[in-house]
Amino acid sequence: MQIEAQVQEQAAEAASEGFNAGEVIIEHVANSGLDHPLIHLPTIAGIDFSVTKHVFMLWVVAAVVFLVVTTTVRRYLRQDRLVPSGFMNALETVVEFLRDVVVRPSVGDKWAGSWLPLLLTLFVFILSANAIGLIPVFEVLGLLNHWVFHAGEESFLGRLLHGGSTATSNFNVTAALAVISFFAIIVAGSKAHGAVQHWKNLVPHGVSPFLAIALIPIEILGMLVRPFALTMRLAANMTGGHIAVLAILSFVFIFTEMAGQFVGMGIGVAFSVPLAVAISALEIIVVLVQAYVFTLLTAVFIGMAIHAHH
Amino acid sequence: MEGFALAYMGAGIGLGLAVIGAGLGIGKLAAGLAEGIARQPSAQAQITGAVNLPLFLLEGVAILAEVFALLIVLLK
Repeated sequence: MQIEAQVQEQAAEAASEGFNAGEVIIEHVANSGLDHPLIHLPTIAGIDFSVTKHVFMLWVVAAVVFLVVTTTVRRYLRQDRLVPSGFMNALETVVEFLRDVVVRPSVGDKWAGSWLPLLLTLFVFILSANAIGLIPVFEVLGLLNHWVFHAGEESFLGRLLHGGSTATSNFNVTAALAVISFFAIIVAGSKAHGAVQHWKNLVPHGVSPFLAIALIPIEILGMLVRPFALTMRLAANMTGGHIAVLAILSFVFIFTEMAGQFVGMGIGVAFSVPLAVAISALEIIVVLVQAYVFTLLTAVFIGMAIHAHH
Repeated sequence: MEGFALAYMGAGIGLGLAVIGAGLGIGKLAAGLAEGIARQPSAQAQITGAVNLPLFLLEGVAILAEVFALLIVLLK
């Protein structure tokens, strides 16, 4: 009885405010604001170092990856006979797939060993960050908070409920990852050809000097566009999928406002929830493919810097 | 107000054009992939690998176009 009254009260409250789909979706996709961060840190040299939700999720992902991978590999190495079992099998499959299908064909056998660790780290980290973003942990936490914990708005838990949980849907995170691959490309070229020859390789051999001068800005632009495309591809894909799911689910509330709760529920059962489930299933593929694409493209660009046959 | 409407219109048209281009490109790649595998089923892994890279580069271009369409609306 009491819960029913509470629900009605809240419905009335929500109806008086009106449902703004755009605001709700942005709230669920964007980072939590700097005005209420998780941990306040001082501003140094004009940069606010406060920990927002996406930074927190980065730490969570890094901790999960570190703990899971190191414990699995250590347990495997402690065995008498080196026979992989359980999760180690899956890990080994991933490592071998990346080594044989992605890194060796594009980087080349000679340099594969030196670039495999970086590319594996990128793959595992991006995959985990994408996948953890798909799990609605914080929505469940929000429900628990609403019915059980009753933590205040300004507590750590209350602040944790604002903003999206996919760290890789933040353009700053993917830009940082792309900067890593940008410098990896330069270092790969410099290690293979020497620091000067790598920059000379940017312009093809055997063209007339006038054309070579004209090509320099184009090549520099191309060098900068690659990490930019990496940034945008990953972040836009991760944001886009979440927006699609939330937009479809928000039809329930839009129709409830327009035509009453039974129409809204009917739309939810017949249309929104099945479609949202289907798109979530598609998102699982997108999560895998985007991690693969980021790794593959970084490997291909590193390979292009190493095998500069101009 | 008029600039606002024009920005929305431009972004919408640009988005549609980007999707048309990307759809044509992905369709061509998929057609080539299916034909290649039908002729040479044993080379499936190699054909898929060769198709993947241009596919992702194409997707990147389309996403860049969509991001810029979004920027037109946001920075109108």
